[in-house]
Amino acid sequence: MSKPHAIIVGAGFTGVATAHDLALRGFDVTVIERGDICNGTSGRTHGLLHCGGRYAVKDQESAIECIDENTLLRKIVPQAIEPNGGLFIALDDSDLAYGEAFIDGCEACHIPLEQLTPQQALRLEPNINPRLLTAFLIPDGTFDPLRLALSFAANAKKNGARFRTYTEAKGLIMDGTGRVTGVRILDRQSNKAEELRGDILVNATGAWAGEIAEMAGADVPVKPTPGVMVAYDQRFVQRAINRLNKPGDGDIVLPQRRMVVVGTTSFEIDDLDYVPVLDDHVDLMLERGAELIPAIRNARIRGKYMATRPLISSGSGRSAARTFKCYDHKETHNVEGFVTITGGKATTLRAMAEKTADVVCEKLGLNAPCQTKEVPLVSYRQYYALPN
Amino acid sequence: MSQNKWKITLKIHRQKEAEAPHFDEFALDVDPDEYVLDAVERVWAFMDRTVCFRHACHHSTCGACGMRVNGVEKLTCITYIRDVTQDGGTLKVEPLRNFPVISDLAVDMGSLYSRLDTVGARSVLPVTQAEAEKKPADWPAGDEQYIRLADCIECGLCISACPSAATSSDYLGPAVLAGAQANGLKRNPELLGLVDTEDGLWRCHSAFECTAVCPSFVDPARRIMDLRKQVFVERFSRVFRRS
Amino acid sequence: MDNKHNLPSPAKFWTWFNPIGRQTGGWAFILNRVTALGLTFYLFLHLVMLGQLAQGPEAYDGFVALMHNPIIIIGELLVVAAGILHGLNGVRIILTTFGVSITRQKQLFYALMAVAVVAILVFGIRMFTA
Repeated sequence: MSKPHAIIVGAGFTGVATAHDLALRGFDVTVIERGDICNGTSGRTHGLLHCGGRYAVKDQESAIECIDENTLLRKIVPQAIEPNGGLFIALDDSDLAYGEAFIDGCEACHIPLEQLTPQQALRLEPNINPRLLTAFLIPDGTFDPLRLALSFAANAKKNGARFRTYTEAKGLIMDGTGRVTGVRILDRQSNKAEELRGDILVNATGAWAGEIAEMAGADVPVKPTPGVMVAYDQRFVQRAINRLNKPGDGDIVLPQRRMVVVGTTSFEIDDLDYVPVLDDHVDLMLERGAELIPAIRNARIRGKYMATRPLISSGSGRSAARTFKCYDHKETHNVEGFVTITGGKATTLRAMAEKTADVVCEKLGLNAPCQTKEVPLVSYRQYYALPN
Repeated sequence: MSQNKWKITLKIHRQKEAEAPHFDEFALDVDPDEYVLDAVERVWAFMDRTVCFRHACHHSTCGACGMRVNGVEKLTCITYIRDVTQDGGTLKVEPLRNFPVISDLAVDMGSLYSRLDTVGARSVLPVTQAEAEKKPADWPAGDEQYIRLADCIECGLCISACPSAATSSDYLGPAVLAGAQANGLKRNPELLGLVDTEDGLWRCHSAFECTAVCPSFVDPARRIMDLRKQVFVERFSRVFRRS
Repeated sequence: MDNKHNLPSPAKFWTWFNPIGRQTGGWAFILNRVTALGLTFYLFLHLVMLGQLAQGPEAYDGFVALMHNPIIIIGELLVVAAGILHGLNGVRIILTTFGVSITRQKQLFYALMAVAVVAILVFGIRMFTA
């Protein structure tokens, strides 16, 4: 029997990880992406490898996903990760009060944590706010977004996956029985239209998932929620510094190369393809970031940018769950051959891919177990070196 | 960010398959404190959906958005429009030189990436080895446990700006030699055969353009010269070891 | 796809001389190439002239008279200037190659060029007043 052909729309984190997973399970994989790898939300994430601490109080399902995946990614893709841990620091009474729930939450989600005195914390990170009241050491990390994605893409390519970048999905091909059998594409390198046929179509377009689902007459309850981030030109810390409180604006500062990045905000938009970086949000990042690391005020802005999170709209903004969901559109809208994966966050990309590939295998009646937990990824540079 | 808007003309290099390269002009209202990449992205979002360009992180950590802006290599995500044109001015945006053009502004950097792998350029390394301007004694004890992403973001600006790279497709190029230097001959003696060659270290003719355009503090020219010194010392000591 | 125009090629040697977008080190590189070509051309001319001189006393006298022509003197000054510029640029490359002044290669270049200008002036004055 010839290999089943899976077409994945989108080469962000979910797309490349799903390509890797399906290629390992013996699929013939084609990924189409209208830009280059990671040109949308994935490329612009702040790059925090979550340990789950941020979600340990309110969203324990996400928190457990994070700590499990954090541990795995450190093993399989060390080439893209700064594995230096993180601190949650308390600066006022409200933070201290939250600390109790934080300890319980982390314990419930098996997130290792160590409480530090302010002196101990300042010895580790001399640039954090010296007025801190307490600190918790947790296993956060930082990653390079493009290189994380390229690592998965390189491995997928090594196992035979094809990546068609600069190729836009223009419409889905349906047979008379309400089954998706392929996708109409526009090769933007040549401005030529083509048709691609496959056994299953995976919609991995994140915040854009609604647009692709609509092509099949389906819909996905995804709520695109952008946030603004600001990069400053000095590396003040070695660890991710979080505010010990419920998630809010500008409560994370993380190191990346010779920078620190402060994130993020949360707002709603109409046009997904261009979201402006709002001035007042940039100012707010300085304000809030300087509470965690006062020296940021002396640094220069290196980059101001935004990314649009694909939140599953059970709530709105910060209260929405950060977990992911895979939709089999046979079940949701009686459309066969078509699944959507969205929600989630960069840290859980591998788990999202595993779930999606499980759904795909089940739909096609295949018994192929997931192998991505064990396979260390090849050099991300191989994505460019390997033939397509 | 300032309140006043500028009117600028964005001249974008266009090239699709089998099409002769040419420029398309777009009239844009911009904030001078926006980045060049923002302007290019807006052209794609609102004016011409066929424009192809490479970009990902928008804050100088990934190296995808290198282009030539008015003839000079820039990382467009951190290049303020204010710094490269004026109100009523023109911005000419072209793909990097010395790489095959995929389409419009996007180039294929496969040669750079595979050469970086060949010399074993490290993508992450101990923080004490990454920061060149600090002496080992300046690091507090225990800091060597920290790992950080290397300075080089593999953006290819140095390869594009180098006059020697323009005439020799086999030249390893500044980023690759800098990656080899960061690895060190002591740690990797096999590098000697790769870099002590006509198309390695000795193809550099001291134009220092690599260091002038590097957006990420790598200073490839300094590293090339340092590697030459390492090679010289190694060759010299081998003569004595033999005799 | 035809994208050869953007690839490295020996035929692109002319880009060495394109000053657009070049910075200090790039200008030094251009100057080095230009003076090298000038000196090579002069060497060729020099050999041709020597061949001429071997043709007899008249040729020799005619040549010496020609050498007092101001245009020739300007030409000679250009050769001297090229020699000085190329030589001092070589000093820059030697020093930086051995790690000397590498982070101040611009200042080194400016300083050496200042020396070159002074030297060229001195030579010029002496040649025209001799």
